[in-house]
Amino acid sequence: MGGYFKILASERLKMSRSFIVLLLLLSPAISVLVGLMSNIEGADRPWLVLLGTMGMLHALLFLPILSGIFAAFICRYEHNGGGWKQLLVLPVTRTGVYFAKYTVVMVMLAIIQLLFLGAMLLVGTVKGIDAPVDWEIIGRCLAGGWVACLPLAALQLAVSLMWSSFAAPLALNVVFTIPNMLVVNSAQFGPYYPWAQPFIATVPGQAMEGGGFGAMNLPFENLMITVLGSFVVFLIFGWTYFKMKEI
Amino acid sequence: MMVGKALSSDFLKIRRKGIWFLVFLGSVGLLAMQALNFGLRYDYMIDQYKADLWKGLIGEIFSFVPIALYLGATLISSQIANVEHQNNSWKQLLALPISRASVFTAKVLLGFIAMGVACLILSAGTVVLGILLKFGTDDIPYLTILKLSFLPYLGALPMLALQLWLSLTLKNQALPITLGITAAIASMFAANYPEFIPLSWPFLSFISEAKPALPVGAGIILAFVVYMVGMGHFRGKDVN
Repeated sequence: MGGYFKILASERLKMSRSFIVLLLLLSPAISVLVGLMSNIEGADRPWLVLLGTMGMLHALLFLPILSGIFAAFICRYEHNGGGWKQLLVLPVTRTGVYFAKYTVVMVMLAIIQLLFLGAMLLVGTVKGIDAPVDWEIIGRCLAGGWVACLPLAALQLAVSLMWSSFAAPLALNVVFTIPNMLVVNSAQFGPYYPWAQPFIATVPGQAMEGGGFGAMNLPFENLMITVLGSFVVFLIFGWTYFKMKEI
Repeated sequence: MMVGKALSSDFLKIRRKGIWFLVFLGSVGLLAMQALNFGLRYDYMIDQYKADLWKGLIGEIFSFVPIALYLGATLISSQIANVEHQNNSWKQLLALPISRASVFTAKVLLGFIAMGVACLILSAGTVVLGILLKFGTDDIPYLTILKLSFLPYLGALPMLALQLWLSLTLKNQALPITLGITAAIASMFAANYPEFIPLSWPFLSFISEAKPALPVGAGIILAFVVYMVGMGHFRGKDVN
C-alpha cells in the first residue's frame, strides 16, 4: 500500500528525539498526582472511583488537546522548509503517507492510555486498594476513550495538513476543547461533540458519587456508533483533501 | 525608534498568519460559549442569577478567563515565533542594522498587544452579550467588565513573557506548548494555591476584590524580570 510501512518507519524516526516523550508522560504524571491527592477511603468500588477522579482531567482536557498536538507535530517537519515536496517525490503514494501519519498519531494516544493504566495501578497500589481490579469496566473505558479519539485525531490531522502553521490547528483544537467543561453537562449535545467524546467514553457514570451527570450515563454502544460514524466521515474528508492538495 | 520600526514590520509580517484570527476566535469563542450556555437554558440561568444578572454573567465568563489567557499566551507566542522559525529567517532578520534587543522587544510587545486586543474584545463583547440577553442597559457595570478581562491579563503577564521567551529561542515548540498547556490546566485549581504562586494571580486579581494590587503588581514586576532575563538570553544566543 504505497510504501505504508516504510513511511511508518520514517515517521517513527521523526518523532523520536524530540520532546515528544515529555508529552507522553505529561498526562499520566499529572494523573498520578491527582490520584494520590484524592480520597477514596470507604468507596464501594475503589477502582472505579479512582478511574473517575484520575480520568477527569485526563479525558476532559488532555486527550483532546494531545490528539491535536500529535496531529500538528506529525506534520511539522514537512511544513518546515518544503518537506512535503521532498517526501512526496519518493516512491510512495499520498494515501500511504496519510495513513502512516494517522497511525503514528493513534499509536501515540494508545501509549498514553497504557501509561495512564499503569499510573492507575500505581496509585491503587500506593493507596493499598485490596479489592480486585475491575478489568472489564476499566479496560472498556480506557479502550473506549482511545476509540473516541479516532474522529478527533482524524479531524485534527486534516486541519494540520491544511494549515502550514504549527500553532493554528492547535489553537482551533484548544478553543473547542475548553467548552468541554460545559458540553459534558448536556446529554443532548455531548455525544455529538468530538472534543467531549473521549471524556464521555472514559468516565463511567457509576464512577462518580451520585451516579454521574449529563451525558455520562448514555449507553456505551450508542456513543460508539456516533464516534465511528464521525470517524469515517473525518478520515475520508482528510484523505481526499490530502490526495487533491496542491503541494 | 528602533523598536517602533521593528514593531511596525512585525505587524506587517503577521498579516494573514492567523494571529488576529486567533485573537478574535479566542475572545469571541468565550462569549459564544456563554451565549449558548445562557441561550440554551435561559430560564434556569435567569432564575439562578435573578439577584444580579450582570454579576452572574461576569462570574460565568470569568470562570474560563484564566485558562483562556494561559492557552492564548501559549498559542500566540508560538505563532509569533513561528513567523521567523518557519522561514528560517532569524539570520536575515538579525543581519539587519538593528539591535537584538529591539528585535526581541518588538516581538514581546507584539504579543502583549495581541493579547490586549483579545481582552478588549472580551470586555466589549460582554457588554453586547448582556444586552442581547436582555439584562437591561440601565446598570451595566462597565468598570467590573473592564476588570474582568484586564486584571487577569496583568496577572498572566509573567506567563506571556515566559512563553514569548521560550518560543522565540527554541525552534522546537513542543516544550513551550507542553508547558503552557500544563500551566493552563493547573490554573483551573488556582483557588487552592497560596497567593505567592504566579499561577494563581489571574484568578486572584479579579476574585479578591479587596486587594488586586498584589497579584497585579507582582504580575507586572515578574513579567518585566522574565522579559529582561529572556532578552539577556536572546542577545547571547547563537542563531542558525
